[in-house]
Amino acid sequence: MTSPAEELHPAPVLEPGKTILELRGLEKRYPGTHALKPIDLAFRAGEIHAIVGENGAGKSTLIKLLTGVMPRTSGEVFWEGAPVALATPHEAMALGINAVHQEVVLCRHLSVAANMFLGEEEVRYGILQQRAMVRDAQKIIDDLGFNLPANVTLGDLTIGQQQLIAAARATTRGTKFLIFDEPTAYLTRKEADQLFALIRRLKSEGVTIIYISHRMEEVFELADRVSVLRDGTYVGTRNIEETDDAELVRMMINRSIEQVYHKESFDFGPVILEARDLSGRGFEDVSMSVRAGEIVGLYGLIGAGRSEFVTTLYGRHPKSAGAIYWGGKEVSIRSEHDAMRLGMALAPESRRDQGLCLNLPVGLNLNLPIYKRISKHMLISGSQEKSHADQQIAGLRIKTPTRHALASSLSGGNQQKIVIGKWLNHGAKLFIFDEPTVGVDVGTKAEIYRLFSTLLAKGAGIILISSYLPEVYELADTLHVFRRGRLVASHGYREADHEKVLTQAIGVS
Amino acid sequence: MSTETIPVEKTKRNYNVLFGLTLLALLVLLWIVLSFATPSFASANNIANLLRQGSMIAILAVGQTFVIITGGIDLSVGAVVGFCTVIPAMLINAGWPVWIAVVATLLCGVAIGLFHGFGIVKMGLPPFIITLATLTSLRGIGLLMTNGNSISINNDAFQAFSRNSFLGVPNLFWMVILVGIPAYIFLHHSRWGRYLFSVGSNAEASRLSGVNIERTIYMAYTLSGLCAAFVGVLLASRIGIGNPTQAEGWELQAIASSVIGGTSLFGAVGSVHGPLLGAFILATINNGANLLNVNSFWQRIITGVLIIVIVYFDGLRRRGK
Repeated sequence: MTSPAEELHPAPVLEPGKTILELRGLEKRYPGTHALKPIDLAFRAGEIHAIVGENGAGKSTLIKLLTGVMPRTSGEVFWEGAPVALATPHEAMALGINAVHQEVVLCRHLSVAANMFLGEEEVRYGILQQRAMVRDAQKIIDDLGFNLPANVTLGDLTIGQQQLIAAARATTRGTKFLIFDEPTAYLTRKEADQLFALIRRLKSEGVTIIYISHRMEEVFELADRVSVLRDGTYVGTRNIEETDDAELVRMMINRSIEQVYHKESFDFGPVILEARDLSGRGFEDVSMSVRAGEIVGLYGLIGAGRSEFVTTLYGRHPKSAGAIYWGGKEVSIRSEHDAMRLGMALAPESRRDQGLCLNLPVGLNLNLPIYKRISKHMLISGSQEKSHADQQIAGLRIKTPTRHALASSLSGGNQQKIVIGKWLNHGAKLFIFDEPTVGVDVGTKAEIYRLFSTLLAKGAGIILISSYLPEVYELADTLHVFRRGRLVASHGYREADHEKVLTQAIGVS
Repeated sequence: MSTETIPVEKTKRNYNVLFGLTLLALLVLLWIVLSFATPSFASANNIANLLRQGSMIAILAVGQTFVIITGGIDLSVGAVVGFCTVIPAMLINAGWPVWIAVVATLLCGVAIGLFHGFGIVKMGLPPFIITLATLTSLRGIGLLMTNGNSISINNDAFQAFSRNSFLGVPNLFWMVILVGIPAYIFLHHSRWGRYLFSVGSNAEASRLSGVNIERTIYMAYTLSGLCAAFVGVLLASRIGIGNPTQAEGWELQAIASSVIGGTSLFGAVGSVHGPLLGAFILATINNGANLLNVNSFWQRIITGVLIIVIVYFDGLRRRGK
């Protein structure tokens, strides 16, 4: 066992500036999507290399390939000049490639020290040296300037503190190449400063850092170089002194492919729902309204408070202040059931987990909210069950052989249509879509957008949450921008340009 | 921020100690109440009897706890106990030395545990299913081997073991200590025990840390099988027969003891002393109910209520932090 002091200083790495990891034509395809188009990029030993891009730009895919979590489709990777397969996490770790993920991947039931040494425990005569491990872990933590105890259960720390522990842990394992994936998403400013100090220190010890972030100010604070990804394509790399956030934002949003947005304008009807000065967990003082025939877009980065806002509207979390009006009357929405009864429908972000019973038939899914209505004396009316299901299958053009096919056998886009169809059956007037096009291909996207028009034509209103700017930009009649729990700006249809909206969401001056 | 969490943490740990002490206090309280309520409870004879009654479930519960900590369940232990009364009975009656019969039985338990590990790791079966399958088929195998008859063991020394005491403490209770101390060291002071917790807490994180998850799962079920086989030997000694239908429902008592002792069925939470206390609390309730002439049907109901109450308060404690 090496002492922690030695572990903090990784094995001598390449002299700074030499290429440590090189990607040549690295590429990843999933069925139906081209997640990462061939990329050529070289990382230099001892640099802090930021990677920026919108959600879905291919950053996560790139990390998964580099850490061996999933295999690449084609291309080559060279580590210190030699080709490597990077087929398993073990292989990546053995080379010295490690990652600190946005969500902490540690055992929350174990102590901080047990997590720091997991898989590499200090043992004497088969007995765990628990005191020694707590002491050594504490030394590492103190050494890094984190004011955290090593002997507490990890799950009792805040997410931010756990994130710091995960970072501290990654430094102890002979790491030469460390990837941080949006590490500050859940950190307080003070914790973020501690993390930055750790990152700078690792750099001074010759560790190469990949830093993935949405936050421009962090990129400019830390990075030596920055690379931009957009729609799975590598756009370019800049030295940090030679660029500014205006240029990076331009690189992130400048789109090459013709988009598929289908937008019809309808005359707005009466206000369906209005929120006045609404506050709750994760957001404050938000006022907005939705009219019949209107798409209201909510844009912001992950964690900006949009999802928290709509789930509060939907009764999943209690509001702490403010009021909600439905059809002009103040209503109290205490549960999702209340929201449904009013006529709200939420198509959740993870429709596989929350929206559908995948291993049940399409027809059953479509009728799930209305079985009470189509049953008499406890017995389901077979003819009504059939007619309601078939009506939605035809009306929404759900591609399924029959209503008896399992929902799991349908494509992502058609599953999305089932979610919508079941709420249409229920008679919903306000549809909330949380990231409706994540993980679906371009053709399906177009179909989903056309579906919005169908809903609007029926007099419904839509709240559309998206982290993908062009989507809300091209579709929303009113676009609200969220940043850190607040509604910071509102625009009419195509009123502000991309740059302005993104700047407002990121918060650069 | 961090300075704020430390005192909170201390309270919580004290609470954990408190939970262990609460169980002990509950047990002592039961004993005190029963000593006053019935003249015969505090007699040396009855205490020895109580220790014998609780010992076998206690050992089963320890093995069960290892499995539950990984997030699994072992429904087969009762059947393994029954089956493992048959093996020593047959071997001893066939003239084999007792120690060989015992070792062979223990190996049998190991083999059953390895089979469970194989089913879970290699065949991808849920622990509930593979151990349920063993539960029913092992009883069948035992019945085939015995033709449905009980086998009387012709060895007085073997049977005397479970009746005798050493230093005034029944031998069966010594067996709890024999199992409990290594189990404690294993669970709380060896890296293998640590991995049981880490796999139950977050298998993916453990895998990414280089923990061999498959081996950890094999180990948990093997130890549970081993404990059950050992209890089988003890039961054979106590009742003097080999009969595969013995120990009916003991798997549920073992699970109940473990849960009463603070083990979380969601995994990653558990200890060795908790299930031991749990087993003796259940044994005390049954013993006391007998002495008080409470209808034995009530004992089952009391056990059920106790499980709900203790696990509910334990859940409150966990959520309330």
